[in-house]
Order: sequence, then structure tokens, then C-alpha cells
Amino acid sequence: MARTDRQTERRRAGPTFRAAAVGLLAIVVAGALAYATEPLGEGSAVAVLMLGVTIAAVTGGLWGGVVASLVSSVVLSLLSDPEQGLLGSEPRDLIAAVVFLAVAVVVGLVVGNAADERDRAARREREARLLGYLSTKTLSGELPDRVLDEFVQVLLEPFGLSSCRVDVTLDGTDVHAKAEREGERPGGPTEIVPIVVGSVPLGSLIAERPAGRRPMTRDERALLEAATRQAAVALDRARLDARARLAQLDAETSQLRAAMFSSVTHDLRTPLASIKAGVTSLLDRGAHHDAEQQRDLLLTVLEETDRLNRLVGNILDLAKIRAGALIPRRSRAAIDEIAEAVVARVRQHGRDVAIELAFAPTLPEAAVDPVQIDQVLSNLLENAVRHSPPGGTVRVHLTQAGRAVRARVADVGPGIPAEEREKVFDAFYRGKEAPESAGSGLGLAIARAIVVAHGGRIWIEETTGGGTAVAFEVPLEESVL
Amino acid sequence: MKVLVVDDEPQIRRALRTSLEAHGYEVATVGTGDEGVVGAAGGAPDLVLLDLGLPDMDGTEVIRRVRAFSEVPIIVLSVRESQDDKVAALDAGADDYVTKPFAMEELLARTRAALRRASPEEPAPPAMRFGELEIDVAKRLVSIGDEPIHLTPTEYSLLEALVTNPGKLLTHQWLLRKVWGQGYGTETTYLRTYIRTLRKKLGDDASRPALIITEPGVGYRWVAEPGP
Repeated sequence: MARTDRQTERRRAGPTFRAAAVGLLAIVVAGALAYATEPLGEGSAVAVLMLGVTIAAVTGGLWGGVVASLVSSVVLSLLSDPEQGLLGSEPRDLIAAVVFLAVAVVVGLVVGNAADERDRAARREREARLLGYLSTKTLSGELPDRVLDEFVQVLLEPFGLSSCRVDVTLDGTDVHAKAEREGERPGGPTEIVPIVVGSVPLGSLIAERPAGRRPMTRDERALLEAATRQAAVALDRARLDARARLAQLDAETSQLRAAMFSSVTHDLRTPLASIKAGVTSLLDRGAHHDAEQQRDLLLTVLEETDRLNRLVGNILDLAKIRAGALIPRRSRAAIDEIAEAVVARVRQHGRDVAIELAFAPTLPEAAVDPVQIDQVLSNLLENAVRHSPPGGTVRVHLTQAGRAVRARVADVGPGIPAEEREKVFDAFYRGKEAPESAGSGLGLAIARAIVVAHGGRIWIEETTGGGTAVAFEVPLEESVL
Repeated sequence: MKVLVVDDEPQIRRALRTSLEAHGYEVATVGTGDEGVVGAAGGAPDLVLLDLGLPDMDGTEVIRRVRAFSEVPIIVLSVRESQDDKVAALDAGADDYVTKPFAMEELLARTRAALRRASPEEPAPPAMRFGELEIDVAKRLVSIGDEPIHLTPTEYSLLEALVTNPGKLLTHQWLLRKVWGQGYGTETTYLRTYIRTLRKKLGDDASRPALIITEPGVGYRWVAEPGP
């Protein structure tokens, strides 16, 4: 802006000199012409000089015209009667001089007004551009601190500031933003503009010019105030937006909680109902169960107890995740060894599903929590087995992927539609086609939380020929990724 | 055979008492760690079933106090969520753990194994057979069928540590100190490498284990029952 200022000053000072120069040039040319046309009579000389004065006034403004008119009067008197000198002018020449001066003043004033008008229009246009820019920037729905950072940065250039800072208090939180221009000496004239929304003061804007610069003009100060008002509006808007977002988030959270609550209640009650029914039936002295019926009832109780146990374990894990208590206790562990143990355990369940495990003998160890990775693999493998048709095969594949270990668990079950692939990792999400007997909808959510806590990622992969493949990656070292 | 049950939940005490008595054990039950230590000293039980979540004392502390005067086998009962407590309990001298809720048959199997280890009916036989696998402890020879298997001294020490503690969950730290020496305890990579080689030489598939079971993050367990 210092640059802009200097330009403006040059534009204002420049015309006066240029005007005088042009005016003189015009008169010299006019005088020469008048001399040349003298034989044609004095009238033509006056006309030619008048033209010179007019040109001088148009191009050089008021002062250019005045100088030109004075010079023209002298030239005219010299032309008409050289012996009489400058002071011995005839009344005729005096009238011409007055007319010259009048023309110069009128034309100069008109031209000067037009120039001023042009300057003002240009300034208004700059102001409008600045305010327009500010309003689009600040109403873009960004967060208050982003709005302010942008705002102070934008003001630096047009106002020629060495630094600009804003300190406001929004809903009890202090927000600061500051921008500086490098290489400018601080400590120049400073303007402080209050930031007010409605009648509530939020804080203030402090705009400082480099040392040695002139203070702001009234116009500049007014523009700065307009810009500040614009920022205040944006801040207010951003604050309201943030409140609305919070309210929305709150609503979503309580919706989720309600869904969770009803899901948990249902999932807990169902096995309990089976257990209670089985046990009370066995205790019923009036009922006569043969040995096989008794065993059936007891097996139901056992299965439902296991289901309940898994569910409670998952809910506790989820609670741990929500409480931020899921911190991996890393040690050097071989994921292939963990996978072997998990496969061995799941095979014991005795479902009619084959499990294939493959990995390269060179698979490196990774810094992971072995118990948590065990749980991830268990969840994925149990899911895969549960969704496999009898006689199906689940393939577990471990590979090194750069600085990470990747595990992939693929089944030949019904697969997951593309549009559900992200959702399956949400807590309590069950596939639309999932039967009632399916899991709690927590296994993948917990797996994801653990993998993410390890700095890894988990996703559903495309499989050729149907089925589902869940893959995850955990970095070899804690610092990687 | 006398079993001391230390658990603060009356329902668990009752279920354990009923089931254990049905299998011919004599059962004493207490509800606090203090009573547990006193019971272990005064009651001379053959085995202690100890819940880790006691109201008055950390279960690991109970193990330490009991271990000060007794080598009685201790089986820890704990919930799945306290993995670290389990390892700490094992390192403090517990013989095994069972995760709550447990199946009674599993608890009974662990109980029998622990009692067998504590009071072998006969001195350790000079040779043990696990199906095709034969281990001659006296001569330090291992063979499958009649095919001799060559093991390095470390591999043999590791195998010996496992087979002489059948059914017992041996923690990484315990195995490292037993096989490599007191200065070891955290070098799990060594241990893993040797276990892998040993499994390979003995023809055991870790994902279908017949001999050694891996407990990720905890240790290993020899599961093969002796017999032809």
C-alpha cells in the first residue's frame, strides 16, 4: 500500500508540473503560429492563442491554463505593439488577457473536477472490490479462526500495513489472528477499530503501518471500519454455524445412542431369554425330559451363554474404545504366529468350514499389541467362518506391504454390497440381509478401532467370484505411517 | 484332594463347590485374599483356585504371599479384559489361568493337570512317548517313529522345559530364564525363532497344534498327552 500511496501522490503532484510544461509548450507553439499568421491580422493571433490556452487548461488543469493565459497575454501584447513593452498594453489586449484567464479558469476547473471524480470512482471501486472479497471469504461458512486468519492477511496489502491483528472473544473463547509483512519496520501510525456485533463488543482490530509512514486518511479509516464490520458479521455467522453444527452433532449422537441402546438391550435379552427358558424347563418337576431333550436344552443354554459372553466382551471393548482407553501395548510380535494361534482356536469350533493360512517365511516382526492383533484376526476370522456356507473355505493371507504387514481374510459367503462396505465398520451395523443369528455388529467396529490405534487401516476388498475379503495393514514400526 | 477356592462371588463359590465335590474333591471356600493366604497356610490344600479380582487384595499379591511358604499349585480365574494381570499372575508364580466365564470341563482338566505336575504318582519316566514322538530325557534323545531327530542343545532345553510342565502355560519370561538363563526375559524373538524350529523338527503345525499351543502375548503350552 505504501507503493499505492506513493503512486497516488505522484499522480497528484505530477499533473501540475506536466500541466505547466504542456501549457508552455502549447503557448510557444501558439505564439509561433500567431507570429507566423500576424500578417493575417491580430484577430487570428488571438484565436490561435486562445486555442493554446484551452489545450493547456485541458491537459494541464487549472494551473496549466492560468500560466498559459498569462503567457498568452504577454505574447499578444508583444505582437500587437513591440515598442510599448509589457505594461503599455492597449485596452484591447487587456480584454483579451482577461478572456484568456477566464477560459483557462473555467476549462481548468471543469477538467480538474472530472479528474477528481475519476479518482473517487477508482477508489470506490477498490473499496467495493475489497469489501466484496471479504464478504465472500468470510461468509463461506469457515470456522471463526480461519475467517480471522484470512481477514488480517487480506487487509495488509490494500492498507499498506506492516502488521494487522485481531483479538476477539467468542462464546467465552479467546481467538487471535495476526498477519505481518516481512521486511517492514514496525512502530508506525496505528489504528484501532472495535469489532462489534449488534451492540456486543467482541474485540478489536489493530492495524499498524510501517515506521515513518503517514497516518490513514479519513477515507482510509472509513474503509477499514467498513471492512471490520464485514469481519464482525462473518464472525457472528461462523459462531452461529458452529453452534448449529454442535447442536446437529448432539442430535446425531443421541440418535446413535438410542439405536445402540435398543440394539444392546435386544441383544442382551435374547440369549438371556433362551437361557432362562432352558433352565426353568429343566427345573420344572412337572416336565418329563428324556436324556436327549435335557442335553438339547443344556446345549442351548451353553450356546447362548457363549453368545452373551462374546457380546458383553464386545460391548466392554467398545466402551474402552469410546473412553479412549484402547492404547496398544506394543512389543515385537510375529503376526504370522498370532494368526496361527487364532486359526488353531477357530478351527476348534468345529464348523464345517476349511481355513487356509498362507504367509511367506520371511514375514518380518512388527511392533504391535499381540493381544489386540489376536482380537482383530479372531473377529475377522469368526465373521468369515460365520458367513461361509458349509464346506466353504476361508483364506487368510499375510504379506509384507512396504513398511507394513498386511492381512487379508477372504470368505466365499454372500459378500457385501458395495454401498455397505464403509458402513460395516460402524458399531451395531448389520447387513440388510443379515439373519437374526448374525453377530452383534461390533466385531468390525472393534477391529477397526484397534487397527487405527496401531496407525494402520482396514478395508473391504473386491473379490473375484463373490464373497467378502477384509484386509488390514499395521505398520512394522510405531513411527511409520 | 483338597481344593481351596478364593473368590468373592458367592454364586461362583457355590457353583465351584458343587461341581468339584461332584468330582470327588474336598472343597473349602473363602471370599477374601487375606482368608486365602491364611487358608493356604493352615488348610494345607492340594490346589488353590484364585480369583484375581478380590476386594481386599490384588490377586498377584496373594500369589506372592502364598509362594513365600508354599509351592501349592495355583490356578488363576480371571476375566478376559485383564490380560496384563494374567501375565503378572503367571510371572508371580501362578501355574495356570482360566478365563471367566469358563466351562467346567476346562477347569477340571486344568485342575487335574496341575495336580499331576505337583505330585507325580511316579518319578518322571526316563522316556516319554507322545504318539510317534519319543523323548528320552535321560539320554537327551528325541525320535519320531524310529527316526532320530537332531536338536541343538538350546532346542532340547526348550523342549525339556515344555514337556516337563505338561498342560502348563509357560510365559515368555519363564521360558527365557529357564532355557537361556536369569539374565534373559524380554528376548521374545529368540524364543519365537526356537519354538518355530522346534515345531518344524517335531512336525507340529502351529495352526493345527498337537504338541505346542501359542498363547499370543503370553507364552506357550505343551498340550500333548503322553501315550502311544
